[in-house]
Amino acid sequence: MSKDLSKVRNIGISAHIDSGKTTLSERILFYTKRIHAIHEVRGKDGVGAKMDSMELEKERGITIQSAATYCTWKDTNINIIDTPGHVDFTVEVERALRVLDGAILVLCSVGGVQSQSITVNRQMTRYNVPRLAFINKCDRTGANPEKVTRQLRDKLELNAHLLQIPIGLENDLKGVVDLVTMRAVYFDGDNGEDIREETIPAELLAAAEEKRESLLEELSMFSEELMEALLEGGAVDTELIYAAARKGTLAMEFTPVLLGSAYKNKGVQSLLDAVTRYLPSPTDVVNMALDLKESEREFPVSNNPDDPLIMLAFKLEDGRYGQLTYVRTYQGKLAKGDTVYNSRTGKKVKIGRLCRMHASEMEEIDSCGSGDIVALFGIDCASGDTFTSEEISCSMTSMHIPEPVISLAVIPADNKSQMNMSKALNRFTKEDPTFKTFVDHETGETIISGMGELHLEVYIERMKREYSAVVEVGAPQVAYRETISQRAEFNYTHKKQTGGSGQYGRVAGYLEPLEEGEYEFVDNIVGGVIPREFITSCDKGFKKGVEKGSLCGSPITGVRAVINDGAYHAVDSSDMAFQQASLGAFREGYLKARPIILEPIMKVAVEGPTEFQGPVMGSINQRRGMIIGTAEEGAYSVVEAEVPLSEMFGYSTTLRSLTQGKAEFTMEFATFKPVPKNVSEQLIKKYQDERKNS
Amino acid sequence: MGNELIGNNPLRALGLEEKVGGKLQSMMGLVMSRAGLGKTAILVQFALDCMLLGNKVLHVAIGEGLDKTRVWYDDILSLLTDGEKVEDIPEVMKNRMIMTFKESSFSRALLEERLDDLVQQNIYRPECLIIDGYDFASNDKQSLEELRSFMHDRGLKMIWFSALSHREDTRVSRDGVPAPCHEVGDLFDTVLFIRPDGENVNLDILKCEECSLDPGTTLLLDPSTLLIKKV
Repeated sequence: MSKDLSKVRNIGISAHIDSGKTTLSERILFYTKRIHAIHEVRGKDGVGAKMDSMELEKERGITIQSAATYCTWKDTNINIIDTPGHVDFTVEVERALRVLDGAILVLCSVGGVQSQSITVNRQMTRYNVPRLAFINKCDRTGANPEKVTRQLRDKLELNAHLLQIPIGLENDLKGVVDLVTMRAVYFDGDNGEDIREETIPAELLAAAEEKRESLLEELSMFSEELMEALLEGGAVDTELIYAAARKGTLAMEFTPVLLGSAYKNKGVQSLLDAVTRYLPSPTDVVNMALDLKESEREFPVSNNPDDPLIMLAFKLEDGRYGQLTYVRTYQGKLAKGDTVYNSRTGKKVKIGRLCRMHASEMEEIDSCGSGDIVALFGIDCASGDTFTSEEISCSMTSMHIPEPVISLAVIPADNKSQMNMSKALNRFTKEDPTFKTFVDHETGETIISGMGELHLEVYIERMKREYSAVVEVGAPQVAYRETISQRAEFNYTHKKQTGGSGQYGRVAGYLEPLEEGEYEFVDNIVGGVIPREFITSCDKGFKKGVEKGSLCGSPITGVRAVINDGAYHAVDSSDMAFQQASLGAFREGYLKARPIILEPIMKVAVEGPTEFQGPVMGSINQRRGMIIGTAEEGAYSVVEAEVPLSEMFGYSTTLRSLTQGKAEFTMEFATFKPVPKNVSEQLIKKYQDERKNS
Repeated sequence: MGNELIGNNPLRALGLEEKVGGKLQSMMGLVMSRAGLGKTAILVQFALDCMLLGNKVLHVAIGEGLDKTRVWYDDILSLLTDGEKVEDIPEVMKNRMIMTFKESSFSRALLEERLDDLVQQNIYRPECLIIDGYDFASNDKQSLEELRSFMHDRGLKMIWFSALSHREDTRVSRDGVPAPCHEVGDLFDTVLFIRPDGENVNLDILKCEECSLDPGTTLLLDPSTLLIKKV
């Protein structure tokens, strides 16, 4: 790989579902000669697009896992992460954005900026990812790149400007006019691989000149030289324009917009030019790491290949080559046979094989340097771990991981499936931090939890296909939480005399609501009324207490347990006795602390024709939803609301029938809120019945 | 959460607090200024006041997005409190709904239709209406009269509008209401004008039939926060 970091681009491709980003990735691989034939996402040849390496993805025509690949365009190395579009998989998008330096935001020329584009854009802003936009599907009926560019400005508040105008639209899309070079660009040949430049068609010249003028005016804000050149009149050097656009893009104050149709092989090469021209190289971006030797002091990574190594494992995959760990190197270099340290576990890890990934195929390499994205073999680690060389101890800043909101029981059909399921779950939880699993001690069932129905559905499918684990699946359950709403005191004595040495421990103190965080233990014991060696036993006992609440059996969150008094016995007190005493104390205090049930509330956005706004609002209202706002843009409107997750099961069917299939919705987790009294009573009753029957 | 949150809330400053408490008849108010002086900030202060008094507010933003409008509320509330956002306080949050319209698609009839949708389906029954970005230059007096009678019919306690005035347009009504509202000034019970004066920003009371303050009185705005200063 090139040592010149200015010739490296680490980019992601993010978009609303069905905007054609996988098709776009496929074309990029074709034009950069990484593949030699094009296969459509839902193509008749049954091969599927290259980036959709998982069988399931091929079948559904959607991208579930990021597939990393690299390619070379002209003299620049481009690492691409193809990211999923569905909101249930946003952790994938977020992880990809965390390690990337720039991104392409793909939009459909008909659908424009849709709710998922808004989510993705927000994520890009959170991780300071400079972006450019590609308006895809300009061959479709109703294509309107001008409108989409306006939406980029209005809805995403990006300073978006078209760098091209289309030559023809819909079925007549022939090529684009480049507003910087003022040339018409056509994409000839069977697969659009032959680029032909011509003079601008006469009927488009006036429009092109007008657009160019306003583009240059905008870009002059980023370059005094360009401003001077414009004031002087005469020809403007294209390099000056490129430099101004690059400066604006890197500062995230300008968003270049390109257009075309990946499916019809138009405009993709110009997009690649734009990637190399405007998106940042690793040295253009400041990435921060935390120095673990200096109380997690933040410092910028150097990008210098001669400095000690820092790299982040951002994705794990269990494929046909064994476990693959995708890493991004931030400084230093890594070679086969090197020993590195996992800063989380402190363990030494020897690097065996090192490779570049090309969707599901790989290419072995001997070394990689700063700025590279590569895959390692046989490394035991979790997603998000940082690896460094021996002389330093640091961690890349932590990633934002949302809490799971939905769970369901999975019951293996037989012993073989049981074993396979364990293997699968072990793998999935390592790969995806939003996917969690545990065994319900009361029912003995294995519970999986995640970010939405589709999220869990995909893992169940993967269990069946990749691990041959046949499982029965229970109905989806909302992941409720319990918490306390007031301070309450406890004073509990655990005393047991059953022959031999007895058990004795008394624990007193109080529970109080904790505003931020799940659980906190405070030791205010003075005078040794509880000996030091039993303080951790108390903490353990309280931790056991918060595992399961007594209202509906959900985990308890937001509790501070403070102990300030107690008693012990020289012979009968033990670790176990104080654990039991604390568990009893917690249960005693919990009931007095007015416990309540919390439910996950989802932020829901419904987009559709304005004529259906009334029924859509009604349907949200019926689901205990609170409408936060509506945005109306002529024939099209968006209703934003907060709705309890428990009410959202089956909403897609309701919405389809309400709006003749013309509206769609996305949802993401917003917060936990107390459930209304009637719902709380139902949940408590249900839990009590279950306990009686078990 | 009570009204004690705002030590010197703008409705109290004007002596209008009782009205939203439900004791007086409905009123229509207008905040005017040149571009960028803080009309929305004043409207949002009125809206937050109404919300804190337990009234449901419908904020209609014309030509502005949902997120931007939400940010206005969060910014003002965070100045008034210890950095809190509206969404952090469920009792306040439930009293606000935002509707945004593109300039070209907004009309009185459309707003009425949307409002009726909310009320008839029992989704949200607003008591105070904020209309930010209404185009007074392009809409006639009749539209406003209709809006006023609509407000009476639906039992709304308050409607606050914002209007953009231009330095070059010097027309003014007899009671001092500048263009473009000089011909519709009589439809408003209260008209306020934001006027920069050196380092100060003044809020002139041009007209206030229900206020405890007389027309001609000037309130001070904090130039950095645009909050109404203590009288």
